This record gives sequence, C-alpha cells and structure tokens, in this order.
Amino acid sequence: RTMTDHKTSKEQKYDRQLRLWGDHGQEGLENAHVCLINATATGTEILKNLVLPGIGAFTIVDGHKVSGEDVGNNFFLTSSSIGKNRAQAATELLQELNSDVSGNFVEESPDKLLDNDPEFFHRFSLVIGVQLPESTCLRLGSVLWDAGVPFLVCRTYGLIGYMRLIVKEHTVIESHPDNALEDLRLDQPFTELKHHIESYDLDSMEKKDHSHTPWIIVVAKYLEKEGNNGTPEDEENFEEAIKNVNTALNPTKVPSATEDIFNAEQCENITSQSPSFWVMAHGVRDFVRNEGNGKLPVRGTIPDMIADSDKFIKLQNVYRDKAMKDAAVVSKHVEALLQSFGKPPESISEQEIKLFCKNAAFLRVVRCRSLAEEYSMDTFNKDEITSCMDSADSEMVLYLMLRSVDRFYQQHSRYPGVYNYQVEEDINKLKLCVNSLLQEYSLNVNVKDDYIHEFCKEAHCLSFVAGSAAQEAIKIITHQFVPFNNTFLYNAMSQTSATFQL
Amino acid sequence: MKVMELAESLSSCRVLVVGAGGIGCELLKNLVLTGFKNIEVIDLDTIDVSNLNRQFLFQKKHVGKSKAQVAKESVLRFCPSANITAYHDSIMNPDYNVEFFRNFQLVMNALDNRAARNHVNRMCLAADIPLIESGTAGYLGQVTVIKKGQTECYECQPKPTQKTFPGCTIRNTPSEPIHCIVWAKYLYNQLFGEEDADQEVSPDTADPEAAWNPADAAARATASNKDGDIKRVSTKEWARSTGYDPVKLFNKLFKDDIMYLLTMDKLWKKRKAPLPLDWTEIHHLEFSQEEACGTGLKDQQVLGVQGYAQLFHRSVETLRSQLIEKGEGAELVWDKDDPPAMDFVTAAANLRMNVFSMNMKSRFDVKSMAGNIIPAIATTNAVIAGLIVLEALKTLNSEFDQCRTIFLNKQPNPRKKLLVPCALDPPNPSCYVCASKPEVTVKLNVHKTIVQALQDKILKEKFGMVAPDVQIEDGKGTILISSEEGETEANNNKFLSDFGIRNGSRLQVDDFLQDYTLLVNLIHSEELEKDVEFEVVGDAPDKAPTPSVPEEGKNIANGNKDSAQPSTSSKAAAEDDDVLIVDSDEEPSSSTMEASPESSNRKRKHHGTDTDDAASKRKRLDQQPADDDEDIIALD
Repeated sequence: RTMTDHKTSKEQKYDRQLRLWGDHGQEGLENAHVCLINATATGTEILKNLVLPGIGAFTIVDGHKVSGEDVGNNFFLTSSSIGKNRAQAATELLQELNSDVSGNFVEESPDKLLDNDPEFFHRFSLVIGVQLPESTCLRLGSVLWDAGVPFLVCRTYGLIGYMRLIVKEHTVIESHPDNALEDLRLDQPFTELKHHIESYDLDSMEKKDHSHTPWIIVVAKYLEKEGNNGTPEDEENFEEAIKNVNTALNPTKVPSATEDIFNAEQCENITSQSPSFWVMAHGVRDFVRNEGNGKLPVRGTIPDMIADSDKFIKLQNVYRDKAMKDAAVVSKHVEALLQSFGKPPESISEQEIKLFCKNAAFLRVVRCRSLAEEYSMDTFNKDEITSCMDSADSEMVLYLMLRSVDRFYQQHSRYPGVYNYQVEEDINKLKLCVNSLLQEYSLNVNVKDDYIHEFCKEAHCLSFVAGSAAQEAIKIITHQFVPFNNTFLYNAMSQTSATFQL
Repeated sequence: MKVMELAESLSSCRVLVVGAGGIGCELLKNLVLTGFKNIEVIDLDTIDVSNLNRQFLFQKKHVGKSKAQVAKESVLRFCPSANITAYHDSIMNPDYNVEFFRNFQLVMNALDNRAARNHVNRMCLAADIPLIESGTAGYLGQVTVIKKGQTECYECQPKPTQKTFPGCTIRNTPSEPIHCIVWAKYLYNQLFGEEDADQEVSPDTADPEAAWNPADAAARATASNKDGDIKRVSTKEWARSTGYDPVKLFNKLFKDDIMYLLTMDKLWKKRKAPLPLDWTEIHHLEFSQEEACGTGLKDQQVLGVQGYAQLFHRSVETLRSQLIEKGEGAELVWDKDDPPAMDFVTAAANLRMNVFSMNMKSRFDVKSMAGNIIPAIATTNAVIAGLIVLEALKTLNSEFDQCRTIFLNKQPNPRKKLLVPCALDPPNPSCYVCASKPEVTVKLNVHKTIVQALQDKILKEKFGMVAPDVQIEDGKGTILISSEEGETEANNNKFLSDFGIRNGSRLQVDDFLQDYTLLVNLIHSEELEKDVEFEVVGDAPDKAPTPSVPEEGKNIANGNKDSAQPSTSSKAAAEDDDVLIVDSDEEPSSSTMEASPESSNRKRKHHGTDTDDAASKRKRLDQQPADDDEDIIALD
C-alpha cells in the first residue's frame, strides 16, 4: 500500500517529464549514480538540474573549502558555510531539493583520489568534471575512458561556455527521431497482412462500412490493382489515404545507420562481456539475415486514422501480432547467443528485446574521440580547426583560447587577468601561450588580439551552461535522444554556439 | 566589458518578474546571483506537486502556498541581502496600472498563457519599459526582447488562434477522442462546476445537419421519455434530483441520450451510428479481450468498458461528497491535477469514445489532452532563464541592436547550432497594438451579433482587452459599452444593428488600464461560415493548422496554454472557450508535444548563419512555446 502511494506520488511529481522520456527513462535516471567534481556555481547548477528530475544518487568530489567568492556566485552556498568543505556544504543543500535522491560527498581533490584509488571512479554512471585543470582532466579522462564511464567536462570562462563529452561508445535505442516514417510494409506485405487485405472487398461494401475502412487498406487495395485509374471516393478515409500515400509507401529496407551497427566489430564478436545492446543487435541481425529475408522486425504500430474501432483494432492486431512474432524470433536468437557463453536467457528481458525491435530502425551509436586523441600531435583534428578558423570569428577561436588559457595556468598557476594591476602584462603572456600552442600543433591560423584581451578580463561566472550540461547528462543516463559529439562552445556575448568534433 | 561596468548599476535597478513558475524560479536565482537587488515578483498561482520536478525554490511542504511568496522566501534564504517584494495576485488586476509598471527599468515575463502575455506587452508599451519575453515547451525554448518603437511587440505578428470545435460536433457527432474529452470536461462543469450555456452536453436538436423532420418528433418523444424526466431541465438540476446517482447518470448519458441521438437518423447516414451502453448489461457481458494495454505505470493503461464504468461510478461518488462537503450552492473547479476530477473526465470521455466506436485512451493520454499539458523540465528552464539575464544586461545597457531573439533547439540543428539567435525585427507598422493609431477591421453580421459578444468574444478574447469602453463614431458619440459597472448592461443582449451600426460603422474602443485605444472598422457580412461569429480582416480565418504543422491534430506545443484567459486562474479555466487539439499515441506523448516547434525548426534550417531571417523567425513565433510554468489550460 505505501509502495503504491509512493509510486503514485512520484508519478505526480514527475508527471511533466514522464511525458518526455517515459517511465523506463525515469527508471534509468533513478538507477543512475552521478559524480560531480567541484561544487562550483556551474557544478552545483548542473547537479540541481539532475536532482530535481530525480537521479538515484550523486557524489560530490571536492577538496576546496567554501570561500566568500563561492557564496557570491553559488546560489546553493550561504555565508554560514564559509570555511566548510565545499562538497559537504553543497551536498546538504542540494539534498533538500529532492528527498528521493541520495547525496554523498568526498572531501578530497580528484588528483588525490586518482593517486590513491583510481578505481573509485569506476562505479559511476557518469562523471561530470567542472573547472578542472588540464592535467587533472587528461588523467581522469584516461581512467574513465579505459573503464568505459562517460565523462562530461564543463567549464565556464568569462562569458564563454564549454562542454566536452568523452565516451568511448554510447548506444541509444530510443533516439526519438523527428519525422520517422511508419513501418507499414505496403511495398512487401507479409503473409498475415496480405490475408487481412484480402478479407476486404471494397466493391461490395455498404457505404458506412466503406467509409470506415482504414486508409492503409485503401492504399493496399489500390496497389493490388495494376493500372488502376479509378477515381477515389469522396470519403474522409480516401482523403486520408491520399494525404498519407507519400510517407506510407516508403521502401522497406534496413537503414544505413542500422546496417552500420550490424557491421560493427562489437556486433560481430559477441562475448560474455558484451553489453545487451550488442547482443540484441546481433539477434536482430540474425533475424534480418534469416527469417526476415533482409527486413527488420515489423515495428508493430500504425498511426491513428479514420476507421471504426473494430476495423482499426483488427488491422492494428495484424501488425502487432507480426511484431510480437518477429520479436519472439529475435528472442530465440538472443537466447541462443546468451546460452552459447553460458548466460541465463533471462539476463535480457523480453521487454527489452521488444523495445529494441520496435526501435531497430532508429538505433544509434555515438563514439567520441578521447581527450588523448584530441591532445596528441598525431591525432588532433587539424582539419576541423583550420577549416573553421577560415572565419576569424568562428567559435573555434574560443576553443583555441581556452587551450591557451590552460597553458597560461600551467605556467603561472593562476588564470590571466585575475589581478587588475597585471592585466597588461597578462595580455602579453597569454599571447605567448597562444603562439606556442599554434606553433606546437603547426596550426597556421590567426587568433585576433581582441580575443586575447577579452580572455584577460575578470572572469564572470555563467550558470546557464548548466542547463545544457544537465540535459546532455540526462541523454547519457537514459540512453534516449542523441547526445552531441563531442565539443560544444557557447559565446554569451554574441549568443552563438557551435559543436565541433575534436 | 560593458557588462562589468553595468554590474555596479544593477544594485540600484528595479525589475519586475511576472510569474514564479518554472522559468520564474530559475530567473529569480539568476537575477540575485548577477547582482540585481530590487526585484518584485508576481504570480497568482499556488504550488502543486507536479511543479516540484523543476521549480526548485519549492518543496513538498510548500504545496498549496503562494508561488510568489515562497519563491521570495527561498531566495532570501540564500541571498538575504536582496530586496524582494512578492505579490500573490494576477498581473491583470487593475492595481498594476501604467504607473506601477513605470517603477521598473525592466520587466521580464515568465508566463504561461497568451492573455497575460498580451496584457503585459501592452502595459510595457504604455509605460515605455523594455520587456523580455520567454517561453519553454519540453526541450524547446525561446527568449526575445520587446522595446517600444524599436522592436516588434508581442502582438505585431498574428498568432494562430486555437482550434475550437463546433457545438454539434461535441454534442452530437464526435469523431475524435478530443471531442469526447471536451465533452467530458463540459459535463464536469455542468454537473459539479459552474454551469455555462456554451457548454451543453445533451443532444443538440438544432443541429442543421440533422434537418429535423417534424414527423420524427413522435419517435423522439418516445426515446426521451424512457427515463420519464428527461425534460429540458438543466443537467445539474436533474442530476441533483437523482441525488447524483451514478447509475442513473450513467444510463442517461450513455444510453438514453445516445438513443435520442439515434433518432436523428440523418446524422448516421454517412457515419457509424453510436452504440448505447446500459449499466446492467455491461456488467453481465463477458469481456474476452479486456486487455490492459500499455504496460508500466498504472496511468498508462487503457481499461475496458467495465473498468471505466466502475471508475465513473467511483468518481461521481467522490465528487458528490466533495460537493456536499462544500455546502449548499458550492461549485467544484476542474483541475487536471485533482485526481477525482481527472478520473471523472477519463471515465466519461472513454465511455463516450466507446459509444462512438473510437479507441479508448489511457488516463495519462487523456490528461495530456484535457489539461493541454506541455511537458516541462528543469534543464530547459535553466537554459532559458540564463539567456533572459544576458538579454536583460544588454537591454539595461540600451544595446538594443545587440539584443536577439534566441531559440533553443532539442539537439544541434544541421548547422550544428543548439542555440539560434535571430536579429530583432522593427515594429510592424500595421500592428493593431503598437502602431501609432491602431486600427483593425472586423467582419460580422450586425443583425446577429449582440453587444455582449462584441465585448467578450471580440474585444476581450480576441483583442486581449481587460475592461473596454466602446463609443460609436456616429457623430453623436453614443456609448455602446462602458467599463463602469451598471452603465451599459442594458445594452448587452441587443444586436449591434439596434444601435444603428451597419456596414462601414466605426467603433472607438478604449482600454483605460492598458492605456490603449483601438479603432474598429466593421464590415457587415451575411456569409460567414457556420459557427464563425466574426472574422478579423487580414487575419487568416482559421489558423489552427498552420502550414508548419505537419498534421492537423498534432498542434500542441504552441498554444497549449496560449488561450485567452490566464490558465492559472481556475475561474478562467472554466470560462475559456478554446480547446487545442492534441493527438497522442501510445508513446508518452513526447513526439506529439514536440511536433510543432520541431517542424518550425525544420523551416529555419536553411537560413543564414549568424542570424536567421525574419520570415523564418515568424514561423517560429507563431509557434511560440507556451512556457512551462503551469501547464494547465483553459480548455472549455
């Protein structure tokens, strides 16, 4: 009873978001454990945006004490927390936002944790690093890359926002594509559908019945009669058929993105360690290559249409039953696969397989480049940088500036322009950093002085980047919608943004 | 950076935040963090559980309290030095006059309905105070800046009006689930709420399509006499006389009324005739495929006829006792977040869908449609509130040329932009609100339009006025409508023609509060379409399915609460006339919700790089997300 009450109250509280990602998306959120490194203003804002929709747990890692400046720009820290550990203070206040979420904190710097217990980070569904020094970022990046834990790097600098997603492989079953075409198989009707279409004899029907025949049947009948030049009836369902014919008659074939997944090495070589996504992908591939005769499992849904209930439900059942049958065949393949390396068949549920089959045409795999690849002289994406820098005001220049600022920090242990009296000096120093960066990477591009001046001005924290960051975090956690790949830059002065693959 | 110099002036600057919901909470936080010290916030709404997933200034213990007040207290806890004034009130209250607006350097809207947006737009124009307008719907959001004489105002471009349904579709011949849902909400008001003659639920004998043959009268009489007392008394009176007996109600609504409809046989020549339900019979029927479709949450399951009949029974009993508890003459107010009210509408709508051979819908889906719910999440509001502050800083610096309309996409568009800034357009010289001499032409039938309809449907609802005064430009200055109580009520039920109004007449309409004068040119027409009372010339007659909306019936996100009345006011929810169509399928309606703004995104994707052109922007503006805040709507 209390269990149900609890469930109902959650349904109520999360009503407005369940409508976006469904209860299984919510379940994903509730099972997630997110690690935040550094409870800065941006960091706590991101976490706030994850605590409100109800992630399962968070852990803040932060070795800093709360300073006066923190209290000034961080809504969740008050002057009474000055001097306390920042991880603890932020945890306490964030926890208040949602009692369903378990909040934890570690009063230690990420570097120390990396020294003593790098495996500490393996347990998380996602690690979010905020305002990390370059060296920490690279170290942590490599630990997480090897462990297969997604890593979201966020920083705000002046009026610049930066996000970088680092995930070796992120699979998405429900990509929620815009304007997905229906899967009606009208070009190649399956046997049951053929029989169902045959059961209609439009010519001998009464007007009432005739005008309540689903348009799918109308189109199918039309296709049957070759050289048909009959005039469509003046009935709503015929109008609907005409309206829908362009999108309904799409050739049934395996989309290239799904084909790529079938051909991926992970799909080819299934092991006992393979994530269920790939096991199911293999199962669907087996289906396509055998029983499916080159076609994906039937999706099993049809759009709403003018029809009476009875006819509609019968037609819907034809598709639904076929989808169930196809999914059952896929299940068999999956089962066999699991058994071949001694795993119980129930390790992947019937429901997961059904969802997978239903979305087989929309599967996505996002692969980001690692930070190591981005930073290495041999593998950095020179083309992307130089081609973007053809226009001197591309957001790419912000990326180069951030890299230069990191260099500055490495050399001077502080960011440029922190002290007013040093601004002039810092401009020159930062210029040197820019030049050495460009030289080192043999980048023949021009960074305008304006940007160097801009980056020497006092930093002004932005908290709204946190909204976008949390949004990406939710995509990663729920495995729904496609996250960006892999670098996002935002310029608040011009209100422009861009994504790059670095 | 000018921003930094500006920071010092922020502490002396006074700003008004209209709305303390999803965007409002985020915005208040951002404002104090940016250094704003003097903030006034107004919201007439109280806190609901479904706000808690994003309105982070509120906690469970605050449910039922004033949003503005709690928001103020929560912000002060974190930022005790701020000077915040909270008003638990409607911004449309005459206390907030032009003088009030002049107290501020900047007004920021964080609203959820078009009526309030229109009103604040006019107040800011009248007071010449810059306004930042914003909205979110699901993953989508938008921010824009409005400055008198320099930019378009909120009303410079006509917005699509909401789809309404003809009375006879609702009462006689529903063909889509939404028709049944609207009917069920009308029924709720007829039975438990405020009765409204425009919300009849019984068969409409005047349906022109039925073209009554007097000879049929006998058949009708027999049909309607089955229950003995189906006289044309009000539904509420009748229900009360039965003591709100759920079984009697059931049989009247789903059997007797339907049998009555069946006698109007012309209606069923081309349609499938409805199938009456009988309380006793359905309980004897074996439902072989009483399948609970949709797994997962209870709300997302579709019950069978028996299940909905039981739900109907239970909810009528609950609502009856609520009514009794409230005492004599009390009325209930429909609220989508009130479980018995929602149960009632779910049950009644589904039973009617069954009668009319439609596929029944889950409670979750019915709620989407009945409540015009726009999904709302913390992240989008956070992004938008951040953008508002940035535009605010530029606005306070009078850098209007730097200000932008910014759209937030669901995912990076083909040009890899998540945020799309567009330059602001200059005012539309023929805008009926911000032009120097606003003028508009309305086509109507002067012999059939009564003064009351002119006031309520045209001036208030269509042109967004609060308390209009109307003078006929007939050389005599005849006062047709006065906003002073008791002065012109006698005119209300007279036709316009009774006052000598004819083709070419001009009306001078004044709204004192909004400091707004509009000249209305009238064109007499006898050829308006069925169910159309008036048409604004130059306004496409029915904008509901705009070209950018892929399919009729998927037209939600824009308007949802963009109805004529403040959605948060429960009174209004009962008065408003419009309904938005929302379609939904078994997916958690996300796809549906996003349909329209997304499609407008598509329209924009080919445009220029930095700032998109005005035409494309307009498409999007038409689809202005309604904002999250409270996602109610004012349906009926």
